[in-house]
Amino acid sequence: MLEIKNLHVSVGGKEILKGLNLSIAAGQVHAIMGPNGSGKSTLSYVLAGRAGYDVNQGSITYNGEDLAALPPEARAAKGVFLAMQYPVEIPGVTTMMFLKSALNAQRRSRGESELDAIGVLKTVRRKAAALNVSEDMLKRALNVGFSGGEKKRLEILQMSLFEPKLAILDETDSGLDIDALKLVAEGVNALRDPSRAMLVITHYQRLLDYIVPDRIHVLAGGRIVAEGGKELALELEAKGYDQVVKDAA
Amino acid sequence: MSSAAIETKETVAALGEKYKYGFVTDIEMTRAPRGLSEDTVRYISAAKNEPDWMLEWRLAAYRRWVQMKEPNWARVHYPKIDYQNAYYYAAPKNTPLKQSLDEVDPKLLETYNKLGIPLNEQMALAGVAVDAVFDSVSVATTFKAKLNEAGVIFCPFSEAVRDHPELVKKYLGTVVPVTDNYFATLNSAVFSDGTFVYVPKGVRCPMELSTYFRINASETGQFERTLIVADEGSYVSYLEGCTAPKRDENQLHAAVVELVTLEAAEIKYSTVQNWYPGDENGLGGIYNFVTKRGDCRGDRSKISWTQVETGSAITWKYPSCILRGDDSVGEFYSIAIANHYQQADTGTKMIHLGKNTRSRIISKGISAGKAQNTYRGLVSVHAKAENARNFTQCDSLLMGGNCGAHTVPYIESRNSSARIEHEATTSKIAEDQLFYCQARGLGAEEAVALIVNGFCKEVLQQLPMEFAVEAQKLVGISLEGSVG
Amino acid sequence: MKTASALALTPARWEQAASHFRSAGVPTRRVEDWKYSDLAKALGDTALSEATASWKLGKLPAGVEMFDLAEANAPDWVKTHLGSLKETTLSAASLAFADGGVALRVTGAVETPLTLEFSGKGNLRALIVLEKNAALTLVENLSGGEQRNVGVEIILGANAQLHHVRLAPAAAGAIQIEEVAMTVARDAVYTAHYASFGGKLSRLELDIALEGANAQAHLSGVSVLHGDSHADITTRLSHAVGNTQSTQLFKKVAGGKSRAVYQGKVTVTQGANGSDSRQTAKALLLGNQAEADLKPELEIFADDVKCAHGAAVGDLDADSLFYLRARGIPESDARDLLIHAFLEDAMAGIARDDLRDQVRTAVNEALAS
Repeated sequence: MLEIKNLHVSVGGKEILKGLNLSIAAGQVHAIMGPNGSGKSTLSYVLAGRAGYDVNQGSITYNGEDLAALPPEARAAKGVFLAMQYPVEIPGVTTMMFLKSALNAQRRSRGESELDAIGVLKTVRRKAAALNVSEDMLKRALNVGFSGGEKKRLEILQMSLFEPKLAILDETDSGLDIDALKLVAEGVNALRDPSRAMLVITHYQRLLDYIVPDRIHVLAGGRIVAEGGKELALELEAKGYDQVVKDAA
Repeated sequence: MSSAAIETKETVAALGEKYKYGFVTDIEMTRAPRGLSEDTVRYISAAKNEPDWMLEWRLAAYRRWVQMKEPNWARVHYPKIDYQNAYYYAAPKNTPLKQSLDEVDPKLLETYNKLGIPLNEQMALAGVAVDAVFDSVSVATTFKAKLNEAGVIFCPFSEAVRDHPELVKKYLGTVVPVTDNYFATLNSAVFSDGTFVYVPKGVRCPMELSTYFRINASETGQFERTLIVADEGSYVSYLEGCTAPKRDENQLHAAVVELVTLEAAEIKYSTVQNWYPGDENGLGGIYNFVTKRGDCRGDRSKISWTQVETGSAITWKYPSCILRGDDSVGEFYSIAIANHYQQADTGTKMIHLGKNTRSRIISKGISAGKAQNTYRGLVSVHAKAENARNFTQCDSLLMGGNCGAHTVPYIESRNSSARIEHEATTSKIAEDQLFYCQARGLGAEEAVALIVNGFCKEVLQQLPMEFAVEAQKLVGISLEGSVG
Repeated sequence: MKTASALALTPARWEQAASHFRSAGVPTRRVEDWKYSDLAKALGDTALSEATASWKLGKLPAGVEMFDLAEANAPDWVKTHLGSLKETTLSAASLAFADGGVALRVTGAVETPLTLEFSGKGNLRALIVLEKNAALTLVENLSGGEQRNVGVEIILGANAQLHHVRLAPAAAGAIQIEEVAMTVARDAVYTAHYASFGGKLSRLELDIALEGANAQAHLSGVSVLHGDSHADITTRLSHAVGNTQSTQLFKKVAGGKSRAVYQGKVTVTQGANGSDSRQTAKALLLGNQAEADLKPELEIFADDVKCAHGAAVGDLDADSLFYLRARGIPESDARDLLIHAFLEDAMAGIARDDLRDQVRTAVNEALAS
């Protein structure tokens, strides 16, 4: 589903990704682990199409299409979803209103019929209950005054609502305690599907106890330096990034 | 109100009258006849041996000035200035310029020592070149050799007029036009001396440049004129620090400072000002009406103004930056302290013209006694100034209930991609802060000094290291504990 | 000259107002306070009208007494207060020239909102008195009139509450000026929202004096401007005594060649300790021919106070824009959403849902056009 070949990305004139290669098939869960500054967030932003992240070389192919050529909203409509590390607060826009606008914008883009307010409300409520997202949160302005855990749960709620084909989770575990983490992981696991691929980006091994990956890639210095199965996470935990990177060199 | 706060207020009230530098030097002076007329202008020009073009420039300014009206829009009130009742030129008899300090009148050197600038020591240790202006004429210039080596021109303005006329003609009056405002026009007619600096392409000036001023002769206005030009890729840091003696008559100080940065050049201009503020009854004191402006002419050039103002009876100054070149940067860091009956109306203007320009304004105002302290700032973004960025933070600290702190920002934007952010707060020293310090053993005065320095930290950090310490002390002295 | 109306005033008072205006003259941009609103230029060769404009009141609820200022034999409460508050150049003009207007007096807590409409060309006066413990919601609508100057005086008695919603629809080519002078007694609260959609020159001036302990003023406003529109809100809020509170939140969106102006001066008098004042003014410029001028001013003479202000002019937040687009919302829709969101919190101060909806509808219409 996703083929990244020799990707070079620079941000603000500085090259962060220096020839990254990655391949993910539908139904798989891949994890990207790496030390701070290795380029993890850069990868997630460039996949979602954020301005300021320039592809200098290489390609990103999504279901045979050149992803880099599409604006962010088109990528979303085609099933790319980025659960952000720091979800933005947008005062003046209620969560419910935002969910409806986004869902219908995506449906419109795909030529599907739009859902009416009642329809959206029913669907959202159902999914919200499973993730412990309160009715109150839905009425409040998007992410305003939400705790870290609440913000992350809302991101997963959106993932559940938009039913993406490629879900990228950028440090979804950051700032969460064990209980919040478990809840988020449950939500993510509930969305596993043979037609869906997931890219879980994380710094710590802990999340991967709950969202068990099929493959782990270690990102350091802007490229993938090591790969392995889920045991690689434990190895990283035991040895630390420095050592694993050195061993791989 | 807690006793700690009352004690502090009383302490504050007891300060400041003992002006450390209140003394006079007895040296004979020659002066132009009292009053201001075309003849005065000619007298000044002749006394300085100026070429004709300079005299013509002054005369044109004078003729303009007599047709202008003094402005009265600032929030400052002062007795009407009688421009005819002052001397516009005073030179000590010991001119012309000396080659080394050995040749200078020992009484003058004693003056410098009293001022706390032991020139010998400075020369030997700090490596700072000092162009000491004694009233209206420059007396000693040191370290010329080292600067000559780097190609840096650092000399009295009058010398530059004679030795580097092409540079002076090229830049003089291009940043602050002669007709810019009443006091600038007056200055253009009767400026006595000042500093000229030119830094050639690619040169990083090897040392901090500084000037000490002093007004001595009574009723002599000080009209210095400074012009600093940083050519492409160069850097210079300039410090202006002033002291003045006690006098009963108000003394007018109307300086003009012009800065020009060409492509990728940078000028850092710092002022630590300690003019006589007037006695505890508001008598005497310096009137400081100054026009300071920097033109970031070249792309990627930068001008930064840092000032610690703790003196003057009345202050009226707005160091400004014209951000003409693309990617140019303007900064303004200021601590303005007004105590007793002082009145300060100061601030900055940042004019965004080029693309991707940035400006930063941090202003800390402290009011005590019966003083009035006003920040007046303009951030103006012109229609073509794509992506302009400004951040302004103005904080006022009020000490006591008889003073005033005012903030008057003008924000004008004509470009949709520009981002301007302005914030201002007004507060007093929190009782719990004071209590905390005192509970840890600090006396009330020390606590105030600590807290006020913390309040001003962001600005103090901008000063060149050698002078940051003096500035910090100055901040403390202006507000706490009398100095003997 | 004037007819025998309440506004005929004593000769001395009339002369005072007339000469105030005559000597100051129509303000030009050289008058500091009118720096961004050159009235003389907008008027051009036309003089400031000396005619009288029109007003219309909605159904008068119980607890509200009304007096038509065109009538003679004004009751005492009108005579005492009319022309008594702080006067500016333009309010002097309205006092000197207006030969009509309305006076309202509220004695009880009135639930139903009262609508007041100003229309036509010329000058008008209004006097609104809320006695002790009274409460009123006033909805002010403006319509038509190529030139209008309205002088309003509002007196809030102890513990009185006035909610004021003012809707000034876009009036292309019109010059509309309104000066409101107000005193707020102890424990009284003035809450207001001003929705201005501009004109050739449209200016709302407020002079509010918080004169008793716990007096409060909470002002908010939105402006959506297109074409050549101009809208100026100038407030002068004075904390005359301590333990008073004021907040101001103004949001403006300026497109086309329009000009959005906010001048907000807050003064805290010596000794008014415990005063708390916040001000926020933000503007969004759409396109490079619009202009925003913001001047939040603080004049503080007391030390034990909490005063802060913030002002910002800028573009839409890039992070927010990306977030919305990354969730599938097309760029132009995302921008619209954010512009609406930008204005939304300034409308939160409107207590009544129906009135808030009214303002929101006007805003949405203005944004859509």
